Amino acid sequence: MLLRRAAALLALVLTACARSSTGDSVLVVLDPSLDKDAYSTFWAGLTDKGYNLTFRTAKEAQPEIIQDEVAQFSHVVVFAPESKNLAQDLTPQALVSLLDKGTNLLLALSPSKQTTINTLASEFSLVLPPPGTPLISHFPARDAPATVVPVSPPAAHPVLSSGLPPVWFSGVPFAYTPNPLLIPILSAPAESFAADTSSDSGADAVFESADRAGEGLWAGSSLSLVAGFQATTGARVTFVGGVETFSDEFAQKELPQGKSSGNKQFAEDVAGWTFQETNALRIDKVEHHRVNETEPREMYTTNDNVVFTLHVSKFNPIKDTWEPYSGIKDMQLEFTMLDPHIRTSLPPIPGKAGEYSVAFRVPDRHGVFKFVVNHKRKGWTHLESTTVVPVVPPRHDEYPRFLSAAWPYYIGAMSTSAAFVLFVALWLSGDDREGRKKGLKTE
Amino acid sequence: MATKAYTLPTNVAPETVANIRSLVRIVSLALISAAAISSRLFAVVNFESIIHEFDPWFNYRATKLLAAKGFYEFWNWFDPTAWYPLGRVVGGTIYPGLMATSGVIYNVLHALNLPVDIRNICVLLAPGFSALTAWSTYMFTKELKDESAGLLAAAFIGIVPGYISRSVAGSYDNEAIAIFLLMFTFYCWIKALKTGSAFFGTLAALFYFYMVAAWGGYAFITNMIPLHALALILMGRFSSRLYVAYSSWYAIGTLASMQVPFVGFQPVRTSEHMAALGVFGLLQIIAFAELVRSHVSSKQFQTLLYASVVAMGLVGFFGIVGLTYKGWIAPWTGRFYSLWDTGYAKKYIPIIASVSEHQPTAWPSFFMDLHMLIFLFPAGVIMCFSKLRDEHIFVIIYSVVASYFAGVMVRLMLTLTPVVCVAAAVALSSLLDTYIDPTEPVPEEIEPTEAEATPQDPAKKSKKAAPAGNPTSLGEYFSRFTGNTNKPRGIFGINNRLIVLFNTFGMLVFFVIHCTWVTSNAYSSPSVVLASTGADGNPHIIDDFREAYYWLRQNTPEDAVVMSWWDYGYQIAGMANRTTLVDNNTWNNTHIATVGKAMSSSEEVAYPILKKHDVDYILIIFGGLLGYSGDDINKFLWMVRIAQGVWPDEIQEPNYFTKQGEYRVDDRAPDTMKNSLMYKMSYYRFNELFGGQQAMDRVRGQQMPKQGPTLDYLDEAFTSENWIVRIYQVRKEDILGRDLKIANAFEQGRKRKKTKPPVRRRALA
Repeated sequence: MLLRRAAALLALVLTACARSSTGDSVLVVLDPSLDKDAYSTFWAGLTDKGYNLTFRTAKEAQPEIIQDEVAQFSHVVVFAPESKNLAQDLTPQALVSLLDKGTNLLLALSPSKQTTINTLASEFSLVLPPPGTPLISHFPARDAPATVVPVSPPAAHPVLSSGLPPVWFSGVPFAYTPNPLLIPILSAPAESFAADTSSDSGADAVFESADRAGEGLWAGSSLSLVAGFQATTGARVTFVGGVETFSDEFAQKELPQGKSSGNKQFAEDVAGWTFQETNALRIDKVEHHRVNETEPREMYTTNDNVVFTLHVSKFNPIKDTWEPYSGIKDMQLEFTMLDPHIRTSLPPIPGKAGEYSVAFRVPDRHGVFKFVVNHKRKGWTHLESTTVVPVVPPRHDEYPRFLSAAWPYYIGAMSTSAAFVLFVALWLSGDDREGRKKGLKTE
Repeated sequence: MATKAYTLPTNVAPETVANIRSLVRIVSLALISAAAISSRLFAVVNFESIIHEFDPWFNYRATKLLAAKGFYEFWNWFDPTAWYPLGRVVGGTIYPGLMATSGVIYNVLHALNLPVDIRNICVLLAPGFSALTAWSTYMFTKELKDESAGLLAAAFIGIVPGYISRSVAGSYDNEAIAIFLLMFTFYCWIKALKTGSAFFGTLAALFYFYMVAAWGGYAFITNMIPLHALALILMGRFSSRLYVAYSSWYAIGTLASMQVPFVGFQPVRTSEHMAALGVFGLLQIIAFAELVRSHVSSKQFQTLLYASVVAMGLVGFFGIVGLTYKGWIAPWTGRFYSLWDTGYAKKYIPIIASVSEHQPTAWPSFFMDLHMLIFLFPAGVIMCFSKLRDEHIFVIIYSVVASYFAGVMVRLMLTLTPVVCVAAAVALSSLLDTYIDPTEPVPEEIEPTEAEATPQDPAKKSKKAAPAGNPTSLGEYFSRFTGNTNKPRGIFGINNRLIVLFNTFGMLVFFVIHCTWVTSNAYSSPSVVLASTGADGNPHIIDDFREAYYWLRQNTPEDAVVMSWWDYGYQIAGMANRTTLVDNNTWNNTHIATVGKAMSSSEEVAYPILKKHDVDYILIIFGGLLGYSGDDINKFLWMVRIAQGVWPDEIQEPNYFTKQGEYRVDDRAPDTMKNSLMYKMSYYRFNELFGGQQAMDRVRGQQMPKQGPTLDYLDEAFTSENWIVRIYQVRKEDILGRDLKIANAFEQGRKRKKTKPPVRRRALA
């Protein structure tokens, strides 16, 4: 309670602090056995940014996460690796429905037990080893136990800040089946493996675990330790193989080389991404109109020249504002009816921040078309926009009036008319010797 | 001096007789019009002022747009909500005559400060035009025989069910005005032919243009008139009257018809119109030959001339064939072939065969639609032979052609009906003439019994006369029973007259009773609203269609896309105002086949199709609860067939039958059937309605399986009161990118099969 009040105070004082683009309220669900103070660096990092943390144990039912179908918190952190079952409102189904409502989740997997979170992981294309098989590595030589592994983060990753020193990790690795929504953040070191004994009784353990799994080897860099997932609603989930990654102990623990570990920064990066601080984009506005016009049309005519403009903003967590963003170089626009009829790049306009624009000619085909922007990059908010616009054939008075190809017909019509007039003139002025037949041939 | 059976008053001035005659004619025509209009109002009285069936809903919607936005907007109307996402260029794909007519009426009434609702104009247009049809039939028949036959014909066409079936109030379809135009065009043509008047020829062309603008059946006129002209030429009846009438009709009519956007260049580019062009050319050649012949006397030259005429005709014919072969002229369309080979459509164009009104006519419907007229019809045709003027030849050709077509397709009964009325009126009027005429024959050496035994019906007589003698020529044959023999003929006494007249009157009374009964019971149902009778005899209205369409209108987003079988497209657009994938304007077979494929595939296969077409809702018709037999399960095989036509590898009709070749929906239904989207949507939760007892499909009369189908990719959104209309919502894709089946299992808390990590290395052998 004290901490919560302190957090509120902090938020008041540091109004210009970094915070999320979707909201500040965070619910933290902790194991009763987990010492909250052992993670104080992480909590403090969050409160410093301006989040309101609400703590709750795994079995408690209050405060409710969803009330009257409305999510009460913007973000939920579940650090409960020891609780097999969570409270009634934290079933896997409830957690997925939270994602549907736009709530972000930071979930810790349990290395030793088959918890709710571990069950849930399979819905996110993660494949967990059997319980009790943590990550083990004997390299590099260090005084820590073999289950506490320093892992080098990838050099360039959209989620992590660059130049991050190795991160201490202790917990369970997992494999994953290909899923475009999944973003592996931290991969296991190449020489590590998962084994079913925490006592690490020699190399036999590796083979045993391989036998037990039946398929392949739980080993190598294809295993992942921390993975993000972005649902199609835009909500983000991060699965962490071991909760200690966020602990004070690991943050302060020195690396074998003697440098300080990257855990603190890593935790901040991961939480920042999960809570929609970083890599959050949005489409502000979609405009389309004919070239040399400004207002959009309800329908376009075939072969019109049309300008399509997209305004994109990126969230700036430092200033807590959305700022126009021109950094996307590979955006594409499709003009689609069943199939894309036109697919063109949608480049940023130099000098106009956040504007992406392209002019193109509408195909010579009528129908209900869609302007489709579908920009999905790992680690970034998916940009999707669909604007329906009918393309119609020209109106009756929009066709060319005079066709050069039709000259034979014009000449035919005119010569026939002239001949008729001539014939009538001759007929009328002619000698009326046989007046009996009049009217019969005038047709 | 002939004796009289009864005496007529003699002290009446001829002018008085003439005046009274015309007064009686006018009053009769007015009464006939009133009867024609009022007998078509059963639908309004029994139900309400509502647009009927399917196509009329589109016509109504188009008319509303025309009334609201004017003719140019209507002409340029592109409907993005139909045939999504292809859209439909409505202005260029409809016959605008009907809507334009209503629009004109609407504007005239509003200009007169009569604020009539456009819907009421649409509902009452068909009855109004039926009065005009009666009048034009009167004019037509008058040209054939006389006014009294005309009045009879008008009375017949006014109430005959064969025409009422397409023109009750609310049946706002092209046929409503087309039959009037058909009869009036024919009248103008006959008049032009009789008088050799270019004026009537032009009038025929103008009404032909109106007909082209109003109904696709105009091709009937396009081929009837050339056929008539050709028959006259072949009979050696070429005359300058024919030349003037045909040339003025063809030249002006064709140019005018090309102004209709939907017709465009078809009159010069398709085979359907080539007969008219060919006869036009032939007439020019013959006219030229006649001209030359009248100026040149040499016998040899004439022979040469005829040879060259024949040669030119042949060249023209082969020219048309060659152009067709080269592709300059479109060959006959499938619809045309299906007129000659009734099995053609079923094999090659299932979409045409799937329409019930394109099926061959069952014989009882001839009686149902025409009653006693069908018996009088041949008699009338035979009587046309007795005079055999040009116009009689027209009626003979018309009746032969229309009879054939009416036998091929139910819907073409409509074109047969007018000629039946005309011929029957001619026959009946001759009968009445004979028996009302008071003149008695002078009995000479013949015994009177023969005259008394004269059959009452000329048609009967013709049958008897045919084998009796041995007529050497057609003319002799006919003259035998038309009174040209030397023997005096006629009817003696008043008793014989009264017997026949009383019988005739009785027949007419039964005709009226039959027509009224058929109209009120069979042809006045709007089919949007169904009526049934409860156990206590009270009428019970089943209004599921409108209930469901209004649900769609009120509860779905305005741009929601609704998929249904094409039968319901126009109604969804008209009543629910939502976007549809396919509708009754079946112009794109592939698109319909796509819907058919989605309906007949399993959920997994159908889902990507639904997503690709942005489908939000699916609407189906299910009659299993109420016993409504026109439901989608009964139409399902057509969906399968049409889909098979486009995707023969994926959809196969035999898979939907049991091994014994039965079409079943119960336990023995094959898996393909049970997994199809249509089956699942129809019977989803159907079991629950029976509270644990075995569910029963009352249309198929089959016991449903205990375990009903489940749906993973669709949600039930709405089911109407009697379960006739069921609407399903297509689920969004899973937010975690899972297959919806798996997501659904997860949602229901079912244990997931434990996945193993993907194999990353080969097993060491």
